[in-house]
Amino acid sequence: MKAGHKQVKRMTGMMRSIHWVNVISMIVAVITGLYIANPYYQAFIADDAVDKYVMAWNRWGHFIVAIIFDVTSIIVAYLFFFSRFEKPIFKVVPTGKNIKEFFEVLLNLLTLNRRKNFDSTHADSFNSVFFAVFHILLAWMLFTGLQLYVHGLASGLSSIGTWWPTMLHMVTDWTIQASGGTLMDVRVSHHTVMWYILTWIAFHIYYQVWRTIFWEEADIAIAISGSKFVKEDKA
Amino acid sequence: MTDRIEGVKKLFTSKSARVETNRGDAHYEKLFQSCLARVEELKSQTPINKRLDISDVLETQGVNRRDFMKWASAVTGMLMLPASFTPLVADAALLMNRAPVIWLELSDCAGNSEALLRSDGPKIDEIVLDIISLEFHETLQAASGHQAEKQLEDAIHTFKDKYLLFVEGAIPMGMNGQFGTIGASGETMYDHLMRVAKHSAAIVAVGSCATFGGVPAASPNPTGAVGVMDVIKGKPLINIPACPANPANMVGVIIHYILTGQVPELDSLLRPKFAFGYRIHDNCERRAHFDAGEYVEEWGDEGAKNNFCLYKVGCKGPMTFNNCSIVRYNEGVNWPVGVGRGCIGCSEPDFWDKYAYERPMADANIKAPTGGVEKTVDEFGLGLLTAAGIGIGIHAAASIVAGKKEDRGEA
Repeated sequence: MKAGHKQVKRMTGMMRSIHWVNVISMIVAVITGLYIANPYYQAFIADDAVDKYVMAWNRWGHFIVAIIFDVTSIIVAYLFFFSRFEKPIFKVVPTGKNIKEFFEVLLNLLTLNRRKNFDSTHADSFNSVFFAVFHILLAWMLFTGLQLYVHGLASGLSSIGTWWPTMLHMVTDWTIQASGGTLMDVRVSHHTVMWYILTWIAFHIYYQVWRTIFWEEADIAIAISGSKFVKEDKA
Repeated sequence: MTDRIEGVKKLFTSKSARVETNRGDAHYEKLFQSCLARVEELKSQTPINKRLDISDVLETQGVNRRDFMKWASAVTGMLMLPASFTPLVADAALLMNRAPVIWLELSDCAGNSEALLRSDGPKIDEIVLDIISLEFHETLQAASGHQAEKQLEDAIHTFKDKYLLFVEGAIPMGMNGQFGTIGASGETMYDHLMRVAKHSAAIVAVGSCATFGGVPAASPNPTGAVGVMDVIKGKPLINIPACPANPANMVGVIIHYILTGQVPELDSLLRPKFAFGYRIHDNCERRAHFDAGEYVEEWGDEGAKNNFCLYKVGCKGPMTFNNCSIVRYNEGVNWPVGVGRGCIGCSEPDFWDKYAYERPMADANIKAPTGGVEKTVDEFGLGLLTAAGIGIGIHAAASIVAGKKEDRGEA
């Protein structure tokens, strides 16, 4: 450890596991999702009657990571309110302190670290709001995705019982109205929000790297080791 | 604010698209008894249409009793009723001449009337539709002008509150409805519809124009066309969309009405679940090619010759609910996907703007209404991503130029 620095724990093992599970899930979801939206590579057209399930495997992969995503989202939603480590909800509620911190962190970025009037040892309001936006986008993908999924269960049956499609209809039918009134609107929306999420990812990666370089507090290590390092006098 | 409250209410109270296929023995036993009573009652009535007798017509067309019963059991299955209902369905078909029907034609192409009439050899569905007592049909009748008006008045008067009203075509609402007038008095289509709808027992909107506005309502919808359900409130209304509506589904609705005296169970878009509870994709003969990733890449290629999946040339079967992949058209002869032409989602709302293009949604460079589909989502997304990249680049470059904030002044 660099002299005069102190180690600060920022992510628990569970949080880091979820982070990397989400990273892998998202990469798989985007690759397979783009294929489902518009099959961009061809199967060997000359092969007749062979055991190939190109679209089926893409859909399988897409749904499996989607379901993993859905479950981690439930865990994240729980931790958002009830985490014993750090409850992000307290950083997102618009109190005077949080609003001030939000703009201070934003100004820090805009002034290229010329101004840094906040405590960088804890999760700050700017990042917390930014992550909250991400989870709202993910929740929309969850609901629209399950709505698209339940179209394939038109018989009302599924391998785990009739309760599952019934529940999916109850929980996701509102997305048809919310996205424009037709099933195609749900698809368009599911596809468009993927681009919002990719845009979000681009900023997220950039910002974490930028913080690491400019703050010199090893922020990039948080997602791997769970800790960052701040100067003793600040910690 | 009220609009928003209404919007939220609509969002959370709209009926589910879920289909209930088995409603339990007790339900069907009760239904059977009430249907039986109804059929007996109808039998005692004098037929309205005395011109044609169905047994004669069937015999003339070379349909024997066995074929007729096979058809009746197929219709029973289609209506999601247990097999024990087959004799009742057959009876109901024979009693079709007890059902007075008024057929209005508004803003459309007459495609549904065509579907009703233009089959090479009339099959049982079409024959049964011949038997209904069609009291008024603008396109088919010999009468015109004031004479036609009088016939309509007579029909409304004679069968007041008893007739089924079939509506084909959208209702133009722009310029106070002046885009479409009908009859000798130049009545607007809207007024015409409202006048005839007032004393109908139930309304059946046939085809996509009458249900959701269809092609006349496609962007930019110059005539302000809307579907029947947008203007008629407080009447039993059944939508049979598709372009054209399948005669099999029209027969299904009429038989269901004759048999039970009620409208069939409807989905959130007022479509009978027995017909629109199926996704095209799940019953498609090309589905295996979809799963295998074998697609027609362009018209007439090797894939097309091998009946590969039409998804990449824009088939919208995965987003379309209708039974045409099961019952097909013209008594099971063929259907769009069968002839190598993808589904255009004609039974879904806004199909002309949102479904009917020959590419998958993600590759559709078409103009769309209200900045929705027309605006290609990929281009928009890529543009957004590029903008984010440029922003990041500027910030990163500025960061390098400005240099790191060192410890100076803080230590």
